[in-house]
Formats: sequence, structure tokens, C-alpha cells
Amino acid sequence: MDNELIAIFGYNSMSFELIAQLIEKQNPLVILDDDPIKIEQAEQKNLPTQLLDYRQDNDLISLGIGSEVKTLFCFLEHDSENVFLTLSARALDKQLNIISIVNDPDAAEKLLAAGANKIIDPYEICSNKVYQLLTKPSITWILDQAVFGRADLHMAEITIPVHSVLDQTLTSQLSLNKRYNLFLVGVVDKELGDKLYFSLGEQDHTLDVGDILVILGANRDIRKFKKEIGVFE
Amino acid sequence: MLTRLTLYLAYSFKTSTRYQIIKTFFYDLLENPHSRLKSGFDVFMIVLVISSVFSLIYEVQNEVGIWAVYFEHFVVFIFISEYLLRAWLYSDIHNLIIKHYENSEYLGIPFRLHKVFTLIISSKLSYIFSPSAIIDILAILPGYRPLRILRIFLIFRLFKLLRYSQSTQMFIGVLSSKRFELTTLAFLMGFLIFIASTAIYMFENQNMGGQITDLYDAFYWAVVTISTVGYGDITPATTGGRLVTTALIISGLGVLAFFTSIIVAAFNEKMSEFQDERLQVRIEKCTNSTILCGFGRVGQEIAQQLYATKLNFVVIDQNEQHIALAQKKGYIALHDDATKNTVLEQAGINHGANTILCTTGDDVTNVYITLTSRYLNPDINIISRANREDNVKKLYQAGANYIVQPFTAAGLLAVEYIGQPVAFEAIHGILHDNKDVQIEALTISKNCFLDGISLKEANFDQYKARLMGIVSANPIHAKRRNRYKLRNQHFYFNPDPKFVLHEGDILVLFGRQLSVDHLQDLIETSRLRRKTRWTTN
Repeated sequence: MDNELIAIFGYNSMSFELIAQLIEKQNPLVILDDDPIKIEQAEQKNLPTQLLDYRQDNDLISLGIGSEVKTLFCFLEHDSENVFLTLSARALDKQLNIISIVNDPDAAEKLLAAGANKIIDPYEICSNKVYQLLTKPSITWILDQAVFGRADLHMAEITIPVHSVLDQTLTSQLSLNKRYNLFLVGVVDKELGDKLYFSLGEQDHTLDVGDILVILGANRDIRKFKKEIGVFE
Repeated sequence: MLTRLTLYLAYSFKTSTRYQIIKTFFYDLLENPHSRLKSGFDVFMIVLVISSVFSLIYEVQNEVGIWAVYFEHFVVFIFISEYLLRAWLYSDIHNLIIKHYENSEYLGIPFRLHKVFTLIISSKLSYIFSPSAIIDILAILPGYRPLRILRIFLIFRLFKLLRYSQSTQMFIGVLSSKRFELTTLAFLMGFLIFIASTAIYMFENQNMGGQITDLYDAFYWAVVTISTVGYGDITPATTGGRLVTTALIISGLGVLAFFTSIIVAAFNEKMSEFQDERLQVRIEKCTNSTILCGFGRVGQEIAQQLYATKLNFVVIDQNEQHIALAQKKGYIALHDDATKNTVLEQAGINHGANTILCTTGDDVTNVYITLTSRYLNPDINIISRANREDNVKKLYQAGANYIVQPFTAAGLLAVEYIGQPVAFEAIHGILHDNKDVQIEALTISKNCFLDGISLKEANFDQYKARLMGIVSANPIHAKRRNRYKLRNQHFYFNPDPKFVLHEGDILVLFGRQLSVDHLQDLIETSRLRRKTRWTTN
């Protein structure tokens, strides 16, 4: 998935951080906007850009939607624009991963109905964080680290590989915290679908090949764990 | 000799803390509009006044027992004490004496005792002749049995209620603001009544075949007619009389309309003022409150969460629609510019508030509010929103304690989706608190059942909450592994089972709200139980 093209619509304050992060991780991407001034700004920073009108289906096809583009970020400024873009892109490619930003909470459902896989509400995230800072300031930092992996702590997902030692193990027997110094956040048990089950000690899952573990820990511990269970990077 | 004694007494009163404490207590009880004691006392007095009036009315036609007499004595006793206490609080005699003495020392003129006494008497007289004191004394007088005629003043006890009720004071304020219009109206009415009663007396006197016997009858008829009441006990019989009546009825309508419009206009003008005052009172009552500057998307979401958890907050916004929305939801909202010093002070930055949130969509405004708040209160906690990465540094320079970047957070989250869609799901779930799975912090309080216990013994798994780590500033843990620096304390990730918990450590738990709440209850109750056990031992 790493070598597939990512298209980001909208070059503005909302997408700056996303672009910076993707560049850092060396993901191939292209930034699109219908405003020549913004495209010029992006070009000055040596970013891969293209002037494109999202309203034209032909332009979208020529960009590679339906072929090379596998992920689409709708970061346009208005919800209506994002809904339109999502709708157009979904019509062109049923498999495309579409992630859209949402300004008005009412637009969230519309975006999902238009075919977006995920929606992100920056204002809601921001207000939740402010509320956390107010009520439990001591864990805001931890959340920042854990959630966004800005320091050494990191959240990672690991798919159980074929012939892994973990095949047919119960989650309760993993004892990741003792053996690998890792915290198990949740499990996706493929037998039960794609739902993520948070690991709260309520339910035990038998791990099979293809199941996904979400873990939290220091980078070196995560690497060590991956190596031991047979994940090759 | 007398002079020296007076001065000695005056100075000893001034320095006596007990005297000051007593005086402050009575000031809080009777006069201080912000004290809770006064509101309690006001309610007590209202009940007392009403019940005393009822008891006296009942007495008019019924026999009453000895209890009524005792009750009346009690009421009069309270009234007299209140009257005397108010007279005492009205001015400080010792201060007057000392001030006069010091002035005469400074100017080098002899200190004359009789001059001071004149000053004292005049200050106390000004209390005695103040309208509310007159009402008070009139309320006391009917208690004196031999002066049965004074029973008429019973009604003055009801006037006493004015003192204790804000809405009546508000009404008086409205009336006094329209003094000029009301005086004009009174003159007009007096003039009309005078003309009408003279005219009706001329047309309708008994010599002319009417029912009016004297000028008093004429006056009574004019008032009844002008007010459009019209009992009909005196009716005009002559043509002249009827013409006068018609004219008076029409002008009476005009006078009434004029009167109503004056009152309505006065209330309209004053209404916003009253609302502001009420708002101010509400703000002043808030403690540990948060000032929320900017009621846009972010502000609204935060307000909703704060309101749900019953935390105090004051909203400031310049946008009329935003304020209307805030008021509709029952929040305390100021429609003003949060960058102004006065507005922040009004919102309680120096009393009651402990956090400022700058959540406007404009970084320039956020920087300015941050700077203003930091200048006004160096200790306040400031959390600001930064929409652009470039402005983060500026906000820290302006004095913000924490900065939240909505678009950066969204960007980071979106990136997570590329490589790790499942981890994204987990993060999304935790960040939104919507699946009631969350990361919560619980502080170990002194003497609670977890204080001094190792993690192995504590076994958090039994509460269906998983321990992610511990935040602590305690140097006792310094040698533990997985230590991360966190401002002035440390975060110990995945602590080993031998880790012993101490007072002040913060447990970072991952679990459902229900489990975390349950654990918190256990901590609280065990702390209280052990505390009581110790005190009983």
C-alpha cells in the first residue's frame, strides 16, 4: 500500500500537517487545488502539485482515480465541496479509500452517505482535547504521545503472519506487558469481522493468521516483538 | 478628662479585632448584598412580617390566645433590634471621633468634644430620617398597645418587605428614572381633576338639581371618572354635567394611556440594565470557573462538555448569533470583545476564574486575548487554540500554558490511516470518547486502600480496568524503567508488578467509564472509612 499514490485535495491550513507527515514518511502523493495561487505556494515549497478542478470527472480520471490513486484525502474548505468530490470519486472507483475532513457535524452523515470511508472532525478533536486539558491535564501528554507517537511511545498495528508462534493463542495468554513491555490496546478478530475489540479483559479472542493486534509501546520493543512473532518488514 | 476618655475608647474600638469581627458579621447579616447570610435573613424577615400581619388581621375579629401576644412581642423585639443594629452600622462613631481629632491635630486647632457630638448626632439623624428607617419605625409602633390608633400603621409592616425584595427595589428604580414624566403627568392629572370637580360642582350641585353636595363629592366623582372606574353612585343629571363627564372620560383615557406608556418605556429601557446586573451576580457567584473566549464550533463543543459535567464557565463572544445560542442553552454569556481588559475582568479573571480558553478561529485574536489575560492575571491557566503551526511559538511567548492545534491533530490522525487503519480506529475511538472506552486518570489519595500497595496486590484486572502507566512526581520511583519526562513529573509506562503506589501518584487507566468510576468510588470510600476509623480510635 505504501507505494500507491495518495491524492490530497485542498492546500490549506487544514492539510499542511498531513502533507508534512506524508512527505516525512516518503509516501508518493500529489496535492490538488483549483486555486492557482495556492498551487503556486505549494510549488515554491517543492511539493508535487497539480492545478485541477475537482468538479470535472474527466480531470479526476486523468489524475488516476480509478487506477493508480488508492487513497483520496478531501481537505477542501467547504463541506459541500468535500461531499461533491467524495461522490464523484466514489462513482469512479468503488475500492478507493476516501478520507474527508468535516466542518459542520451535520455534514458528517452526508459525507458517509456520499461514500467516504472515514471522516475527521478537527473541531471535535480540538474541543475534546481542550476539555481533557481542563479536566485531566496529566494524561493529555500521554494521549498525545500514545495517540500520535510524537516521542518514543507509539501505537502500532500488527497483523499475525503465517506460521507465527501466536497462531491459536488466546489474547489472555499473550501477557505482552510482562514479556515485551507492550500494552495491548485492542484486537481485530477476523472470525468476528473487521470490528476492533478494545482489550478490557471482558472477552477472550483466539488469534489466527490475519488477525490484527493494536499495541502501544516504545519503538524498540515493538520492533523486537514483531521480529519474534515473525513479521518481516 | 472626658475628651481623653472618649479618644481612648475610640482608639480601642478601632484596634479591637473582636469588635471588628462582630461588626462585619452584622454587616454581612443586614447590609452586604453579596453575603449569603443576608439572603437568609431577608427570607426570615419576610416570613416574620407576613405572619405578624396575618396574626394582627386575625385578631381584628377573633379571640387569640397568649401565644399571639408572645409572638407579637417577639416580632417587635426583632424589629427593634434590627432598627438599632442598622443605626449602629450606619456610621462608625469611633472613626468620626478619630478623624476629627486627627484633623484638628494636623491643623493645630483645639479638639472640641461638642463639635464631634454634633457630627455624630447629625449622622445618626440622617439615618433616622432615611425613608427605610422611617418605614421601620412605623412598623414597630403598632406593637405599642396603648396607642391603638397606630394600628393603621400596620400596613407599614408590609412596606418593610420592600427592604428585603430585589424586584420591588427594581420597580422603585424604574419609577424614579421616569420622575420628570411622572411629575408632568401628576400635574396634568391634578389640573384635570381640579377643573372637572369645579365644573361638576357648578353644574350638578343640589341647587341645580344634581347629587353633588359639596366640593369633596365633586373631587370624589372626578377621580372615579378620570380613572375610568365610574361606580355610578353619583351620575350627572344636567346637560352641562354630562358634557363635563364626556370630556373627562375622554381625557381620562388619554391620561391612563400616557401613564401606561411611561411605565412600559421605563421598563424597556431598564430591562437590559437589569439583565446585565443579574448576569454579573451570576458571574460573581461562580468559583473555579473557566472563561471561554469564542463560541464557534470548538467553543460550542467545549461548552457542551463543561455544561454536562456541571463545571462553571462564562462565554464571551462578539457574534450576536453565537451569544443568542449560548443564552438559549442557559450558559452565562457576555456579548462583548474578549480582548478588552474590562470584559475579562467582568468575566472574573481576577476572582473566581482559573482558566482562560482562547478558541476563536483567528490566531491574531487568540494571541491578543492570551497576552491580555496573562497581563491581567500572571497565575491563570491559559489554553489557546492555534490554527497555524507558525503561531504556536507566538502563543507560548504571549503566555499560553497549553496550545491545541485542531488541524495538526486532524492531519496526524489522517496520516495514521494510511499505514495503520486499525490503529486509526483505536485512536479515533479513544479521542472521541464515544464508545465509552477511554483513558482516565485517577489520583491515589492519602489513606485510600491503594496507598502503599504494590501493583501485584492491587490487581487492576479485577476491576476490568487496565493500567497503562503511572504519572508521579515522587522521587521514590525514580529508578523504575520506562520513565518518560512529563513537565515537572514523570510518566512510568507499563510499570512492573513490584511498583508500590504512593499518595499523589496518578493511575492512567484504560477502560470503560463504568469501571473507572467504580474504582474511583472505592478509593473515595476507603479513604473516608479509614479516616473515620482513625478519628474514632
